[in-house]
Amino acid sequence: MSEPHQPEPVDLDPKYDNRREGGVDEAQLEALLEEYALRREDHENAPAFVVRPDDVQAVLTLLRDEAGFDHLSCLTAQQYEDRYESLYHLTKYDERTHEVTLIVQLPLDEPVCESAEPVFRTADWHEREAFDLVGIDYEGHPDPRRILLPESWQGHPLSLDYDQQKPQIIRYSEHANPLQQDHHDPETDTMLLNIGPHHPATHGVLHLKTTLDGETVADVDPDVGYLHRCEEQMCQSGEYRHQIIPYADRWDYTANLPNEWAVARAIEDLADLEVPEYAQILRTMSTELARMLGHFLALGTFALDVYGDFTAIFQYAFRDREVVQDILEDLTGQRMMFYYFRLGGVAWDLPRPREEFIEKTRDFLDELPAKVDEYHDLLTGNEIFQVRTIDTGVIEPDVAKSYGCTGPVARASGIDYDLRRDDPYGYYEHLDWDVVTRDGCDNYARVLTRMQEVEESAKIVEQCLDLLEDWPEDERTVQSNVPRTLKPDAGAETYRAVEIAKGELGIYIRSDGSNSPARFKIRSPCFHNLSVLPEMAEGEYVADLIASLGSLDIVLGSVDR
Amino acid sequence: MDGRIDAVAPAPLQNDETVLLPERIGELTGLDGFGVGGELLAAFLAAFLVGNLMLAMTGVAGPWAKRKITAAFTDRIAVNRLGPAGLFIIVADAVRLLSKELVIPENADRPAYDLAPIVVASSALLGFAVIPMGSGIHLADPEVGLAFVFAVAGIASIGLVMAGYASSNKYSLLGGLRAVAQNVAYEIPLVITGLSVVIFAGSLQMSTIVEAQAETLVDLGVVTIPAWYALVNPFAFVLFLLANFAEVGRNPFDTPEAPTEIVAGYQTEYSSVYFVLIYLGEFLHIFLGGAIIATIFLGGPAGPGPAELGIVWFLIKIWAVFLLTQWLRSAVPRVRIDQLIEIGWKGLLVLSFANLILTAVIVGLIA
Repeated sequence: MSEPHQPEPVDLDPKYDNRREGGVDEAQLEALLEEYALRREDHENAPAFVVRPDDVQAVLTLLRDEAGFDHLSCLTAQQYEDRYESLYHLTKYDERTHEVTLIVQLPLDEPVCESAEPVFRTADWHEREAFDLVGIDYEGHPDPRRILLPESWQGHPLSLDYDQQKPQIIRYSEHANPLQQDHHDPETDTMLLNIGPHHPATHGVLHLKTTLDGETVADVDPDVGYLHRCEEQMCQSGEYRHQIIPYADRWDYTANLPNEWAVARAIEDLADLEVPEYAQILRTMSTELARMLGHFLALGTFALDVYGDFTAIFQYAFRDREVVQDILEDLTGQRMMFYYFRLGGVAWDLPRPREEFIEKTRDFLDELPAKVDEYHDLLTGNEIFQVRTIDTGVIEPDVAKSYGCTGPVARASGIDYDLRRDDPYGYYEHLDWDVVTRDGCDNYARVLTRMQEVEESAKIVEQCLDLLEDWPEDERTVQSNVPRTLKPDAGAETYRAVEIAKGELGIYIRSDGSNSPARFKIRSPCFHNLSVLPEMAEGEYVADLIASLGSLDIVLGSVDR
Repeated sequence: MDGRIDAVAPAPLQNDETVLLPERIGELTGLDGFGVGGELLAAFLAAFLVGNLMLAMTGVAGPWAKRKITAAFTDRIAVNRLGPAGLFIIVADAVRLLSKELVIPENADRPAYDLAPIVVASSALLGFAVIPMGSGIHLADPEVGLAFVFAVAGIASIGLVMAGYASSNKYSLLGGLRAVAQNVAYEIPLVITGLSVVIFAGSLQMSTIVEAQAETLVDLGVVTIPAWYALVNPFAFVLFLLANFAEVGRNPFDTPEAPTEIVAGYQTEYSSVYFVLIYLGEFLHIFLGGAIIATIFLGGPAGPGPAELGIVWFLIKIWAVFLLTQWLRSAVPRVRIDQLIEIGWKGLLVLSFANLILTAVIVGLIA
C-alpha cells in the first residue's frame, strides 16, 4: 500500500483505442481491500492488488458483493524465475470499464492457491487449465484434473523448467482406458454415453461424457482439448510486430477478423501505438462483416442440429455467407485466414476501384432484409422449431454471469453486455447501432439474438461505407508509424478484450522487454460458454443437449486454442 | 357410394372379374396346365416381377431421385457427372456399396444382427403382395388384404429392435427403443384411420376398396370427380398421411435415426450389404406407405385414360407420396422423442377414434 497513487491517463488522443474514461474509483477500492491487499502493482489496463493465496475467496466475494465486480473475465497463471503468479482479471457486467486485477504470488516450491471456484463457477475450468499448463495447485478445487492435455501428460508445458525436447513416453499400461467407464454400472440405472469425439453434432472434435437416465441427461462432462495447438506458447515465441496476429485467425475460424483485433488492441496498449481514424473505420467495417460470417454459420449449423439434415436453411446460410466471404476476399485477398489487421492499422485500403467494392457491399446490404425475412419464414416461424427450442437449454442470468458467459449467449439471457459499446474501441461509439438483448434465456432466444445482430452489423457496415466513400483522399492513412521492432517496457502487463462473434475475447500480455511476449494468455469466449453446458442440459433430453450445444455456437479451435 | 356394411357377410373369395398376375402368367406361359407345381412356379414368377419392380424403383429413388429432389429443395445441383442427369450414379453407387467391407462389431448378437436387415427389407416387400397396382399387376387379393398389409408392415418393428439390440452399440439401442416406441404409438392411429375406410367400402379386400372408389362423387359435366376416400373424407386422409410418416420414420418423425443426435440410430453399426438392405427396407417402407395411401385413399390405379395405364397412375401416386416425404425432410425440423410420443398418444389416437366414430355414424345414417 506504500506505492504512490498513479494518475489515470485521461487526455489521450481520441483516436487512441485504449483510453479509460471513468474507470473504477481506485481510492474506494483501496479502502475496500485495505485488510487484504499487500501492495499495488498496477497493470496497463487496471489497478492490481497483490493478495495472499489463502485470501482469494474472501477478496473475490468482497469485490463481487460490495463493489459489484461480478465478472471474473479471466484467470491467468504464469511462472517467473522466483515465483508463480495467479492473476484474476475482474470486471463488471454493468460497467465494463471498471476493472481490477488481483495478483496472487506463490512460492516456487509449493505453488498452492485457494480455489476461486466457490465464488465464480467459471474458475473451475480456468484453474484446471492453470494447473494443466503452468502447474499451480488450487486447494479446494472440486475437480482437479487436467483439461487441455491428456491425463497422462508429463510436466506442465508453460512452466519454466519444462523440457520441450523431452519426448512424452508413456507405457501403454499407464494410459487410462477410455472405454473403461463405458461399461454398465450394475448399481444404478444410468448409462454412460460417449457423445464424440467423433459425432455428427459436436461441431469439431469435442467429447461429451454423458450420463443418461433413459433418454434424460443426468450429467454431462465436456472433455475438451482435442484441438489444443499450443497457441499461447506459439504466440509467446513470435515477435510482436508481425508474428502474433496471424495466429489469432486460427482461434475462432468461423469469424476470424475480430480475433485479430483482440491481439492488436492488447499489443497497441502495451506498446502505446495509435491507430488512424480511417483505419479504425476499416477495422470496424471488416470486423462487422466477419461477425456476419460467424452468425450465418451459427444459424446454419444450429438448423442442422435441430432439423438433423442439410436442409434449405443450411444452404441459405451458406449462400449468404458466401457473398460476405467474397466481399472480404476482395478486401483482404483471403477467404479464411485474413490477416488484415496490422499493428497501428490495417494492411491496406479498400480495393480499387473503390466504387465497385462499395457498390458490391451495398448490394449485399440491400438484399439482406429480404433474406432475413426468409429465415424468419423458414426457421423461426416454424411451429415445430419453436416447440423444439423455446424453454429448452435455459441459462438464467445469474448462472450466465457466474460462468462468465458473454456475447450472444449472455445477451439472450438478458445481460446487457457488449464490449463494443461498454468498453469502446474502434469506431463503434460514433455510429448508430443497438446492442441486442432478449429475455428468453433459451435456445430460441439465442437464435433470434444472432439474427438481430446480423441486422445491427449491417447497420454498422452501411455507416462505415458512407464514411469511407466521402473520406478525403489525402487523409486515407491505413497505418500509423510503428517501429520496426517493438520492445515494450519490461514488466508491463495488460489485459484487453474485444467483442468477437462469440463474446469477449481477452488477451493478457506480459512483456519482459524483449520483442516477444513473456506470457500470452487467451481468454476465449467459447471456453466459458461451453462450460455452462452441464447447467443447461441436465434434466433435459438428449435431443435438447445437442440443440443446446449448437445454440452456444462454440468453435473448438477457440475452446482448445 | 352405397355404404353397405357387409364385412360380416360371407364375401366371395375373389372378385370374378379380377384376374390376378400369377393366373395370367400361368395362362400366358402355359404353366397352368402343370397343376399345383405350375401354379406355384407362375406365382413365383409373378412375385419375382413385382419384387423387382419395387427394388428397381428403390434403386432409382435411393442413389439418384432422393439426391436430385433434396438438391432442388435446397438450391443445389446434386449428381450430374455420370450419364444423363447423373443417372448412372445408380450403377456406381451399387458397386460402391456392395464392394465395401462388411464390418461386424465384436460383441454383436450374431443371428439377430444378421437377420435384422433381412426382416426390415422383406417385411416391406411382402406388403406389396396384396396391392392392386393396375394393368393387371396384382399378386393376391385375400379377403383380409388391408389387415394383411398392416400386419406385415408391422413386422419391420421387430427388425428394428433386433438391429438396435444386437448391434451392441448404445446409439443403436436408443434408436431401436425409439423405433419401437414410435411404431407402437402410431400403428394404432394408422389402423384405426384405415378402419374408417373399411366402413365406407364395407370390405377389407383391396380390390373392393379400389372398386368402391371408382363411383362418382360429383358430376361436373365436363369432368367427373371420383369418390376417392381422400376427397370423401379428407380428415381421415390427413390423419393417415401423418401417422404414415411416423410409421416409416420420416421427418418430422425421423427420431429413431436422428442423425446429429444418436448418429444413425439402429443402423449405426451396419455397413456394406447389410446397410444396403436396411436402407432398401426403409425406402420400400416409404413406397409401401405410398402404395397403401394410393390404394385406400387415392383410388388405387384409377386415372384418366385407358385402364391399361393403371400402373403408370399408380406409380405416379406412390412417387407423389415419396416426394412429399422428401419435401418434409427439407423443410420441417424433427420433433423430440417425448413430443413425438405425445403427439401420437394424445393427438392422433384421439383424433383417429373420433374420425372412426364420426364415419360410422354418418355411414349408418346414410345407409
